[in-house]
Amino acid sequence: MSASRFDQAAVQDILRSAEALRWELGRDYHDRVVETVYADAAGIADRAVTREGDRPRFDLDATIDRLVTSRVWGLPIMLLLLMLVFWLTITGANLPSNWIASVLIGRIYPALKQGAEAVLIPHWVSGMLIDGMYLSTAWVVSVMLPPMAIFFPLFTLLEDFGYLPRVAFNLDNFFKKAGAHGRQSLTMVMGFGCNAAGVVATRIIDSPRERLIAIITNNFALCNGRWPTQILIAGVFLGTLVSAQLAGLVSAASVVAIALLGVGLTLVASWVLSRTMLKGQPSTFSLELPPYRPPRVFQTLYTSLIDRTIYILWRAIVFAAPAGLVIWLVANVHLGGPSLAEILVNLLDPVGLFIGLNGVILLAYIVAVPANEIVIPTILMLTVLMTGVTGVGQGAGVIFQLDSQQTLQSLLTAGGWSLLTAVNLMLFSLIHNPCSTTIYTIYKETGSVKWTAVATLMPLILGVSVTFVVAQIWHLLAGAI
Amino acid sequence: MSCEACPVHNTGRPSHLGVDMGNWDYVVALAGNPNTGKSTVFNALTGLKQHTGNWPGKTVTRAEGGFEYGDKRFKLVDLPETYSLLSASLDEEIARDFILFGNPDVTVVVVDATRLERNLNLVLQVLEITGRAVVCLNLVDEARRHHLRVDERRLARDLGVPVVPTSARYRQGLPELLAAINDVAAGKTACKPHRIGGASPEVEQAVSGLARKIEAVFPKLTSARWVALRLLDGDARIAAAVRQGELGELEGASQTAVEGAALAEASA
Amino acid sequence: MPEPLIRLLIAAGLASLAALLFWPGSGLAPRWREARRASERVLIEDTLKHLYEFKLTGLKPSLESLAGALSVPLDRVARLLPLMQKHSLVEYEAGEIQLTPRGREYALHILRAHRLWERHLADETGYPEMEWHDRAEAIEHVLTPSQADSLAEHLGNPTYDPHGDPIPAATGEMAPLAGGSLAQATDDHLRVVHIEDEPQAIYAQLVAEGLHPGLELRIIERSSERIVVWAADREHTLAPIVANNVTVIPITTPPPQPGFEQRRLSSLEVGEQARVVAISRATRGPERRRLMDLGLLPGTLIEASLRSPGGDPTAYLVRGALIALRREQADQIAITSSEEAKL
Repeated sequence: MSASRFDQAAVQDILRSAEALRWELGRDYHDRVVETVYADAAGIADRAVTREGDRPRFDLDATIDRLVTSRVWGLPIMLLLLMLVFWLTITGANLPSNWIASVLIGRIYPALKQGAEAVLIPHWVSGMLIDGMYLSTAWVVSVMLPPMAIFFPLFTLLEDFGYLPRVAFNLDNFFKKAGAHGRQSLTMVMGFGCNAAGVVATRIIDSPRERLIAIITNNFALCNGRWPTQILIAGVFLGTLVSAQLAGLVSAASVVAIALLGVGLTLVASWVLSRTMLKGQPSTFSLELPPYRPPRVFQTLYTSLIDRTIYILWRAIVFAAPAGLVIWLVANVHLGGPSLAEILVNLLDPVGLFIGLNGVILLAYIVAVPANEIVIPTILMLTVLMTGVTGVGQGAGVIFQLDSQQTLQSLLTAGGWSLLTAVNLMLFSLIHNPCSTTIYTIYKETGSVKWTAVATLMPLILGVSVTFVVAQIWHLLAGAI
Repeated sequence: MSCEACPVHNTGRPSHLGVDMGNWDYVVALAGNPNTGKSTVFNALTGLKQHTGNWPGKTVTRAEGGFEYGDKRFKLVDLPETYSLLSASLDEEIARDFILFGNPDVTVVVVDATRLERNLNLVLQVLEITGRAVVCLNLVDEARRHHLRVDERRLARDLGVPVVPTSARYRQGLPELLAAINDVAAGKTACKPHRIGGASPEVEQAVSGLARKIEAVFPKLTSARWVALRLLDGDARIAAAVRQGELGELEGASQTAVEGAALAEASA
Repeated sequence: MPEPLIRLLIAAGLASLAALLFWPGSGLAPRWREARRASERVLIEDTLKHLYEFKLTGLKPSLESLAGALSVPLDRVARLLPLMQKHSLVEYEAGEIQLTPRGREYALHILRAHRLWERHLADETGYPEMEWHDRAEAIEHVLTPSQADSLAEHLGNPTYDPHGDPIPAATGEMAPLAGGSLAQATDDHLRVVHIEDEPQAIYAQLVAEGLHPGLELRIIERSSERIVVWAADREHTLAPIVANNVTVIPITTPPPQPGFEQRRLSSLEVGEQARVVAISRATRGPERRRLMDLGLLPGTLIEASLRSPGGDPTAYLVRGALIALRREQADQIAITSSEEAKL
């Protein structure tokens, strides 16, 4: 080895005298070295920098800072900005989503089916590949890609502008009280886009304990994949409770309420974790609030597309394709009469009803572990299968989407849904295990089976408990009236 | 003309820490404080020719890219943003290990012209490790807006390495930066890197005494003082490098691929 | 009773039962695991450690003192010692229990593991000071020598633990611990070098007083009933038995005058300026390094710029950058009064 080229005795001597000198120099050594470096740096900087004239009277940075961190306006501005980002994401994604769906599902899908028939591929093969894998992947792409392609660049623009550190600054006190790290607010906001991205973002937290808290609780940030479920169910069941003028407002408010409940749960769960499994006091943190800088729009678009959107989308596709296969199989494999799906739904129904949901929803959540986006289409598909309603969908195990709210409501009511089912579905959508992409990311980031299991099961147990309690209280009140 | 203190790139040295040298002539490391526009510089230099992954065995993002200048191909490795190289955080360890053991042909330190003093802290530490450095004085447009003038020639004289004022956001100063990188990589620029002044006599005596011993064993090592500083701070990674003779490999002697792999593993 | 209510009650019952069983730390299952850990080996290792400490302090170990230190019945110790003799960890010399070289080496490893772990807890985790000792007590029996080595490496080969006790090197060498007890100190200007963390009741008082290694203090009053000192910005009154657990060395630069109230960064109002005087010695490890890397060094001009809507943290202007610090951190930074800053 190369080491032999050097005098081993002399090497040992170096190390030994270094050790001896360390005892002598004492504990101040590091401090003194840093002070020396800074003293040199100050000297050099002094000689090189000259200030021409006075400091400008109007300091834009300081003015913006005073506004966005002010006691009165700080939090409202933050909420407004975040709501603006979500609004842009949700409304902006609609058009491209429909467009992609019309191409992938409306054009390519029939063409594939026809092609398969033309070359005489057996029905079950084309069913598995085209109705199962292709369609679910197409679904995930059309539902996930546009919102992520809007959300992440917007997020990155705020980041580049320098606003996000101010969010952490504003929210730090809440997180400190919960025993968590100030930067967890940033990873939580990131989680609104995608939990997997939020989990990766926890790298900015350097204390291992607080990073774990941030990872485990990130799931409570309502991700893009779950917004559609919330919006749809709120629109169909809660919006219709009030007059048409108020419908939009009520359903929007209930979705926001769910998202805020998620923020509350993040704080509560962090608090509980930092007092039980991840005991300890919040570590100190220092956060630089960088000067505001005009963001570079095109560069941002490009890098956030590459870094976040494509990366997350790819993982989602990898998991969604097999899920599509499973969905098709459970709907089409018959065990002496009823299909596997029917057997499973009937099996899960008592459990589901017990917690104010139903068997269809539970089965949908089981097969939709890979991506929350396919929960609603799976529920619809299974409901059609179970109720035998005709005239919708394209056959057993085929994912589809309905356009009109009336059709949807009548379909779900036929499936035995009540207001309780809707409320509990919204709650369960917020509080359940993370999707498999996120679970895999958690495993990659923590390298620990134990913490991955905690992060997966804790929200699931909590979700079941919450829906159970809500269902029982609901029944109690309904019985009392 | 090239000086003793800055060994010229040696094409016989095929392995840089975790970097595949296949198509590249030179490896350039990009260091800098947070919020100095370092990633803007990185993007401006590499354009769309970039690739992100993780540092081997670590959950820290690593970005690499490439650019050409003249007939040479440069590989640019973006190091984590750090305030210092003296503390033991994961980011700093990665940056420090790459500058020291990764043997970059040039280390570019991006500094914020509006907060020069704070940024020089990192520059001075980098210069203790390697003289093959270029200071990219970024955000000069912002400095002008704040009525600050930075005398880059004075700064270059004090630091002993080239200083290039840039405004990467508006793509200003980039050709000059590329030329400076090229000149240092090719050994055309003479560097006399600034060395940190003595702390108390007691510390100075300990550091210089130990540095002399290190120089005696590793005669061509340019960063003996820095190694001594780190040993006195109980830096186990450096102690291991001394023990295993890794420091000897940094003299510009040929490094085999096997050792390169072992290095990458050791840092993982 | 309506059925949903019954279900809710049953669920609540089940939940509390599960909490009782599995609550981390105080649940039955964790406690059971804890109890099982108090095995023979752990007792042997604890005995070795106590024998080593007895030797350092010059006390003569006896069956009774060992049983006391280990808090186990006397006959348990009586059964333990022959076993340890068999493994040639201890020997009797002139009727006195002695460590063999092998026993000494073993004891040093346990001590090293313990102190390294305390260092790790202090520097890298948020566990409160009162918990360090107990946690290290558990870990010291689990950590292998090679794990201890890599921990030491990771921590930058620290020489002292957070209480000021020297950490034995892998070779068994240990830095000397200078100084004497505060209760017996004859000088008036002193620096704390060590705080004894056992027994807990006394340690809790010292922690509550905010005493820590590195703190400089001045003795105001000493009598057989109490010792009064002035440190940083307040007076501390200690009973001799408490002061006895604080090790101090004399210093030449005088500590602050009694009545002098050291101003802290946390008291800086928004818009006010001051200069940094020092970072408290209670801020250690990576945290201290990070603050210094940010440029918070003695003499640095600092201005409070923004306060978070929640009242905490505060952003300070330091060397041209806005750095947000939580109140606990700002409390650890001593500053000049604002008049002095203008000079």
